[in-house]
Amino acid sequence: MRTDLEEYRARVRAFIAEHGVPMRGEGVRVPADADEERAIRRWLRALYEAGFLGAGWPVQWGGRADHLPQHDLVLMEELIRGDVYRPLDQVMLASHAIIEFGSDEQKAQLLPRIRGGEHVWCQLFSEPDVGSDLASLRTRAEPDGAGAGDGDGDGDGFTVTGQKIWSTDAQWADMGMLLARTDPSVNRHAGITAFVIPMDLPGIEIRPIREMTGYAEFCEVFLDGVRLGPEHVLGEVNGGWKVVTSGLASERAFVGANSLQLERMFDDLVALARAARLPDGTAALEHEDTQATLAEALARVEEVKLIVRDTVERILIDDEHPSDGPVAKLAYTETNVALTEIAMGIITSSVAIDEAGAAVADRWYHNFLWGRALTISGGASEIMRGLIGRQLLGLPRA
Amino acid sequence: MLTPMSRLVRLGSRQGTGVDAVLTTTFASDDIVALRDALRGALGTVWQELPSTVETTWRERWEPLAELGLPGFCVPEARGGFGLRVDAAVTAAMELGAALHPSPFAGLTASAHALAEAAEAAGSSGDPVVGGLLDDIAAGARICAFGRLGPDGRTARLVDGGPDADALLLLDRTRDELLLLAGPGDWSGEPSRHGFDITRTCADVTVTAGRGQRIAAPVHADALYELLLAADAIGGTQRALDHTVAYTGQRQAFGRPIGGFQAVQHRLADHAVRVRGMALLVHEAARQFDAEPRSQEQALAQAQRVRRAVALASLSVSSGAGHILHDLLQLTGAIGFTWEYGLHLYQRRVHQDARLAANPRAAARSLADTEGWTDAH
Repeated sequence: MRTDLEEYRARVRAFIAEHGVPMRGEGVRVPADADEERAIRRWLRALYEAGFLGAGWPVQWGGRADHLPQHDLVLMEELIRGDVYRPLDQVMLASHAIIEFGSDEQKAQLLPRIRGGEHVWCQLFSEPDVGSDLASLRTRAEPDGAGAGDGDGDGDGFTVTGQKIWSTDAQWADMGMLLARTDPSVNRHAGITAFVIPMDLPGIEIRPIREMTGYAEFCEVFLDGVRLGPEHVLGEVNGGWKVVTSGLASERAFVGANSLQLERMFDDLVALARAARLPDGTAALEHEDTQATLAEALARVEEVKLIVRDTVERILIDDEHPSDGPVAKLAYTETNVALTEIAMGIITSSVAIDEAGAAVADRWYHNFLWGRALTISGGASEIMRGLIGRQLLGLPRA
Repeated sequence: MLTPMSRLVRLGSRQGTGVDAVLTTTFASDDIVALRDALRGALGTVWQELPSTVETTWRERWEPLAELGLPGFCVPEARGGFGLRVDAAVTAAMELGAALHPSPFAGLTASAHALAEAAEAAGSSGDPVVGGLLDDIAAGARICAFGRLGPDGRTARLVDGGPDADALLLLDRTRDELLLLAGPGDWSGEPSRHGFDITRTCADVTVTAGRGQRIAAPVHADALYELLLAADAIGGTQRALDHTVAYTGQRQAFGRPIGGFQAVQHRLADHAVRVRGMALLVHEAARQFDAEPRSQEQALAQAQRVRRAVALASLSVSSGAGHILHDLLQLTGAIGFTWEYGLHLYQRRVHQDARLAANPRAAARSLADTEGWTDAH
């Protein structure tokens, strides 16, 4: 098994060295220009074609019978190690939602286009007033009234009006997964429907939002009288909550790659301490207080690595506890923030950074700001703590 | 029960109840689970009920625990022990810590290991004093405490169990030797300054001039001592956390359990994550002892790995556990502030666990070394 995996790793590594598109910065996904966009799409298609991505899909749709969850972990580790562009979460989630809930037509139409790099996906979930409490979303998909269901194609559709926000990649996405309220008269979870929609439909307006990092990764999306047909419904009408909460089978073992990510961050921290000069000309790393801070940080990193390893082991034997994901996310993202804060302390305490460390310092400035994206998105730390409190500790809902 | 030849087999995760379901998530082998259960039975550990008094007659009940094999987890099989089952020693230390047991288990285990290694090295020509002491330790008839000799070569500060031990083994780090004091009048102890942790006894020891015999220090004795102190602390912290979680789930204020308030719940969630990380580091360090080196080169590399893993675990626990316990005292409010409630006993004990190993500083320095930061000029 081990040798098989090592052989797999060698193949992935060679493939990345040959085809990989370099990443511009942690969390930077939107292409800088048309050339980069073409390169990224070609790279994503290559990953699918080589069988490295989408290998866990049903064989009918391009998956491989000999796929192991460990392969996903190896792939993500090598993508991180190689500093190359990584597959988009939104695309992977869309894939699994379509595989699980899509009609045969939707699968036949959409899945090959994902594999071909033709379709980049975004999510249209959050709204200006709706973040962590997703079930209170207000965007309306009004079902057509008269003539609905008579089969002539008229009247079976929906008219969507509302506003979405924090939609990563919406400015270059071809497709979006939309959650909208189709029945406001029932309890808030029951009246929501999931749709798969082309992002170039009339009535959709996309405005990128400039983030504090200086990049514009996510967008506001305005939906003004957008017409959808029954073919756009994913799963059942009013069954959208199930689509988003079904714990979609996905590349769960990817979580294991967080270990490598933290390890690299820590190496960067040591590199920064080596390059940071104090007023007396010595490097920060020469000093006992810096070493003590780094030692504590290293112990935290090793804690998280073991938590993640433990989680992956349970994923591989299909024996996860519902709180494992939240524990791993909270531990990883908060430790990441702690490392960035240490880096900022090293920088502010120094009078100069050696030329050799200039790029490292720039990375830390970016990561310091970007780190907050990790503790907010995909379930904010406060949400994770609540899940841990209830699911792991058995405490009442706060 | 633990047997010398038992193999560690991963049997999948074991979702126990209480603290085990909540906080320990490593894969435990059957014999470790059996050991844990046997110890809880023998120690009378009942989850949710904290001991509020300190046991003073533990020596009278030590022999049955010795029969479970407690002193011999790190003693070679040829000497009647279990080999180097650091995982078992760590499990026992955690249970003893959770039960606030007064024995100097960390030092006793390190001593037994060192004495046995010395006896092994000497072969049949071995010292009868060492052999006899080992036999008595295994039978539970004698207790040997462990300490570190100061630079003057005559005094050892902070010897856990020092006031009542039958023998002492003091590490002389400048000479990589141990000084064995096994006779009456070989040392005198001054316990008066070490009363903060009332769950155990501790003394500053002065060696009587000319007494004691020197034996070679085996490579792992000190690391073992340090790791088992961390295990003791994390065992106690887990139990205190488990207890506090249960308390906040029951205690009502403003018409609801206080564990339902985010200000309380979120801190407990953070502590649970942290405690899981610390416990995993302790178990991982135990695993590093297991590999049997085949060459001198391998032995050196292993010693380095052990040193690093023990330092990580010790640093993490010694800098984190006391802080978490202090917050648990806050979360249990006035009841937790009382003597009777007993949470403070854990706070006192984890403080002493860190102090006995001079941590977190010693571990941080050790890591700075193993990571190569100290030659950063």
